Amino acid sequence: MALLEEAIKDLKIVKNYIGGEWVESKGTIQDVINPATGKLIAKVPISTKDETEAAIKAAREAFPAWRTTPPLARVRCLFRLKELLEQNFEELSRIQTQEHGKTIDESRGETRRGIENVEVACGIPTLMMGYNLEDIASGIDEYVIRQPLGVFGIIAPFNFPFMIPLWSGPYAVATGNCIVVKPSPEVPNSQMRLAELIEEAGFPVGVWNVVNGEREVVSTLLESPDIKGIAFVGRTSTARDVIYRKCGETGKRVIAQGAAKNFMVIMPDCNVERTIPALMTSFFGNTGQRCLSGANLLIVGEDDQFYKDFLNRVVEAAKNIVIGYGLDESVQMGPVRSKDKKERIVADIESGIKEGAKLILDGRKGFKVTGNYPLTCFLGPSIFEGVKPEMKLAREEIFGPVMSVLRASTLDEAINICNASRYGNGNAIFTSSGKSAREFQYRVVSGNIGINIGIVAPMAFFPFSGMKDSFFGILHTQGQEAVRFFTESKVVIQRWL
Amino acid sequence: MRLHTASEVISLARELESESAKLYRDLARRYPKNGDALALFAKENEGNIVQIERAYYGVITDAIEGGFAFDMESDEYTFDTSPEKDTGYPDALHKVISIEEKIVKFYSDAARQSDTLMADIPRAFRQVVKKRETRLTKLMQLL
Repeated sequence: MALLEEAIKDLKIVKNYIGGEWVESKGTIQDVINPATGKLIAKVPISTKDETEAAIKAAREAFPAWRTTPPLARVRCLFRLKELLEQNFEELSRIQTQEHGKTIDESRGETRRGIENVEVACGIPTLMMGYNLEDIASGIDEYVIRQPLGVFGIIAPFNFPFMIPLWSGPYAVATGNCIVVKPSPEVPNSQMRLAELIEEAGFPVGVWNVVNGEREVVSTLLESPDIKGIAFVGRTSTARDVIYRKCGETGKRVIAQGAAKNFMVIMPDCNVERTIPALMTSFFGNTGQRCLSGANLLIVGEDDQFYKDFLNRVVEAAKNIVIGYGLDESVQMGPVRSKDKKERIVADIESGIKEGAKLILDGRKGFKVTGNYPLTCFLGPSIFEGVKPEMKLAREEIFGPVMSVLRASTLDEAINICNASRYGNGNAIFTSSGKSAREFQYRVVSGNIGINIGIVAPMAFFPFSGMKDSFFGILHTQGQEAVRFFTESKVVIQRWL
Repeated sequence: MRLHTASEVISLARELESESAKLYRDLARRYPKNGDALALFAKENEGNIVQIERAYYGVITDAIEGGFAFDMESDEYTFDTSPEKDTGYPDALHKVISIEEKIVKFYSDAARQSDTLMADIPRAFRQVVKKRETRLTKLMQLL
């Protein structure tokens, strides 16, 4: 199959989108490199405090008129946006592949998941309704109304450059708030293209702003009294120690999603034919750079033959994954996002060897890349056997295509191993037993649970949950919980005399 | 060439539809007596592409999250559309019929393989199979 045409053909100079204007930043400039080809595709600014404050001000000024805009009129902007996203579906997907490295099918999946959030937020006239009760006392009625709060900050990671801001953004603006989005400077192009479509969809100026940058932008959002809440996805240390803590100090609402170390628990009664492909995409899809990726493969039972046969099939399937540039349609795994990330993953693999785990598939070497591309950011799938729960390999997030294989004698032991993890994001069991599945679902402390599902990604109308060190906050992104997060409940009790 | 990704299979569907549409347009020009009917088939092919792409873009996440992969051989379905010299109308139509049979096989195989993990894709493939079977009957009548 031929290589699909690139969406970004010439070098892009990324600007900020503030108050409906495309503004050049005075900050320092950083390169955005296509991790597969090594080509420079964009230059992104690291914006200043003043520029971030200008975006917050634009959002604050837009808020009074936007909140009084009827919900039906607000969602008409979202309906137009949805239509524009469909029209530009392929371009948006190819941009993600170019700037992130994921395969074109993965990018299209990401685009679809993003659009689904816009679709759900289009239901705001219904979703935002309050509730009431007549005659709570003689002649007195009581009701709850939901009101927007003002300006929210959305801080996004590099691994889903298009979708993650859409877990929050559409709900925030549909409920009448205004937002300032900070994309990852590693992958700014998807949010820039989205902002162009926001503009085309006719959102009033200042409702949706984008400021590119790093820590200074984040600190400014966190310190600003005009920011009523933050939706963040990133590292656990930042989520807990910076975002969650600072939001607590400044009285902001917060959704802070952190890291993960997900277990895929294999019961001997699983459907092996269906489980192996699900594991391949779980562990190696998006090149393992996903907070819902499988990280630990936990095989249950004393049957050594089952263990050996199952693991052999996993290794064979992993060896057959086609690696290359995601715009080549035959490719099943792209590069990791950057050279630094590759080096960090390689260091984790080396640390795993030192810990005593057995590397039975070495993704550092011996893999083939389809096409003629620099190997700078490419890695093959790696599989470790003989991993113990106490090893760093089993405990800490690697965020790359690395599988650690553990064993447990019983489901009870497996559940205990899962629950000993500091993370609780997306754990799954593969079994044909309803009893085992129910036990797993009931006892495992994890925000998202999969039963014969390798990537436990909630649909837009369900919350994207998380527990333990994977999530800090109460309400979550997506669906009804996002609507609650972005609105204040006001109770009215009335008696007419 | 072996095809595994959804993107590859959808691209092949697009290619088969476009190539066969080109052939129908050419035949419509060469044999004006049945030109309208043949041109309609070309138009129907364009609709098929839209239908397949819409289904694919709608459910691609299911395919990825379920770890779905096709296993198809593209050579089994591709065909030569170059006009043969001095071909009479019946031969030209016979060629089109054999191409249609290949395309039906492609969609049937793709529907069968995607049955387990995606709801909309096999349905869209089967709808195209149904349309093409009706088309085959019409082509026989045009002989």
